[in-house]
Amino acid sequence: MPTREELEVVALSLKVSFWGVAWSLPIAIAAAFVLARKRFPGKTLFDAAVHLPLVLPPVVVGFALLVLFGRQGPLGRMLEPLGIVFAFRWTGAALAAAIMGFPLMVRAIRLAIDAVDARLELAARTLGASPVRVFFTVTLPLAWPGLVTGALLAFARALGEFGATVTFVSNIPGETQTLPLAIYTFTQSPGQDAQALRLSILSVILSLAALALSEWLVRKRSGAVPVHG
Amino acid sequence: MKALAAPLAAALLVLAAPARAEDVTVFAAASLKEGLDAVLRPFRSSRNARIAVSYAGSNALARQIEAGAPATLFIGADADWADYLEGRGLTVAGSRRDLLGNALVLIAPAASKALVKLEPGVDLARALGSGRLAIANPSAVPAGRYAKAALTALGAWGAVERRIAPTHSVRGALALVSRGEAPLGIVYATDARADKSVRIVDVFPESSHPPIVYPMVRLKGSGAATGELAAYLAGPDARIKWRGFGFRVPPP
Repeated sequence: MPTREELEVVALSLKVSFWGVAWSLPIAIAAAFVLARKRFPGKTLFDAAVHLPLVLPPVVVGFALLVLFGRQGPLGRMLEPLGIVFAFRWTGAALAAAIMGFPLMVRAIRLAIDAVDARLELAARTLGASPVRVFFTVTLPLAWPGLVTGALLAFARALGEFGATVTFVSNIPGETQTLPLAIYTFTQSPGQDAQALRLSILSVILSLAALALSEWLVRKRSGAVPVHG
Repeated sequence: MKALAAPLAAALLVLAAPARAEDVTVFAAASLKEGLDAVLRPFRSSRNARIAVSYAGSNALARQIEAGAPATLFIGADADWADYLEGRGLTVAGSRRDLLGNALVLIAPAASKALVKLEPGVDLARALGSGRLAIANPSAVPAGRYAKAALTALGAWGAVERRIAPTHSVRGALALVSRGEAPLGIVYATDARADKSVRIVDVFPESSHPPIVYPMVRLKGSGAATGELAAYLAGPDARIKWRGFGFRVPPP
C-alpha cells in the first residue's frame, strides 16, 4: 500500500494537473474554434504559436515562465499585488502543466470541430439561433469526444510534466514536487531505487486510469447522442 | 548502396576506435566548477590530455558511478559519498586524499539589505519574510546536509524546515538567490565568490557543521593518466590556483 507521503505526492500531482487543464480548457476551445472556423491574416503565425510548447524543449518553456512570472519577472511583479503568485507555488506547477498540455488539447478539439458538419450549424442559424447559441448547442456537443480526448491528453501530459516545472518552480516537497519530480529526486541518490520504483508504479496506474476514463467517457457520450443522425 | 558503404564503414571505424591511451573522466562536485575548470586549463594544454569533467551534486555522481558510469576520478563535497563508493569497492585502495576545504555562508541577492547574525537562536524565518530559503536537497546533497546540520546546531532548522526551496546541487540554490527568486540561500563561500549578483550575509561558525572537505579518490579501472592528474590537482601549482578561488587547501 502507498504510504502517506506517496499519497500526498499523488494528490498534489492530480491537483496540479486538474487545475492546469481546467483553467486552460476554455482558452483551448476558443483557440481551436478560431483555428477550425475562422480565416484571418496571421493565422499561420497564431497556429505556430499555439504549437510552440509541443516542439520547444520543456526547459525553455520553464525558463521563459521563470523570467516572466518569477518574483522578479515583469508579469510576476504585476500579479503579486493581486494575490496571484506562481513562484515556488503549486499554482506555478499548474501553469507550467497547462502551457505544456495546451497544444495537445487544441489539436484534438480542433479536429473534432473540423469534423462537425457545417450544414448542421447553418440549419440552426436559419432557424433563428444566434451564433453563440449554435456554438453551445450544436458545435460543442457534437465535438464532445474531441473535447474529452483533448482534455485527458493534456491531463496525462500534465501528470508527466518535468522540465518546465522543475525549471520554473523548483522541487519543493508538498508544494511543487509532483510525481515525476519526486521520482527523479529518488533516482538521484544511491539506495533509493525502491522508492523510485514504487512511485513509478503509481504513475503507471494513474496514467492507465486516465486513459480508461477517457475511453469510457467518449463511449458513454457517443452512445447517447446520435452523431450525424 | 555501394556508394553508402564506404562512408558508413568509416563512421563505424571512428565510433568503434579504441580510446587512445586513457580517457580521463572526472566526476566533480558542482561547487568546484570554476575552480577546477581553471586548474585544469594549463594541464590540458601542456599534456594535450583529453579530460572530460561532469559537474553535479555529489550524491548524483555517486549514484551514476555505482550504476557503472565510466568515471576515473571522483571529487565529492563531503566524506560520506566518498565513504559510500569505498564501501562498495568502487575505488582504488589508498588513492583517497582530502583535496580541499570550504566554508558555509548565508547569502542574499546583491541588492538585498538583509542583516542576519548566525548565532544560536537566529530567527531565519523572520528574515525570509514570505520568501523561501534556497538550499541544496538536505537529505542527499552535501551542501544541503551541511546547511541542515548548521541550522540544527543553531536551533533554527525547525522554523525553516517547511520554508526551504531544495535544489539538485548547491549551484541551483546559488541561481535562485542570484536571480532574486529566493531572498536567502546557503551555499559555500567559494560559490558566493563566483557570483557577482549575490553577497555574503554571514558565515556559519565552523563548529556548527561537520568540517567541509572535498575528498578525491581514483575509481576502479583508472590508469596512469588519472593518477598523474590527481597528483597535479594536489600539487603546488594547483594549490595556488585553488586558494585564488577561495578554497582552503589542507597542508600536503
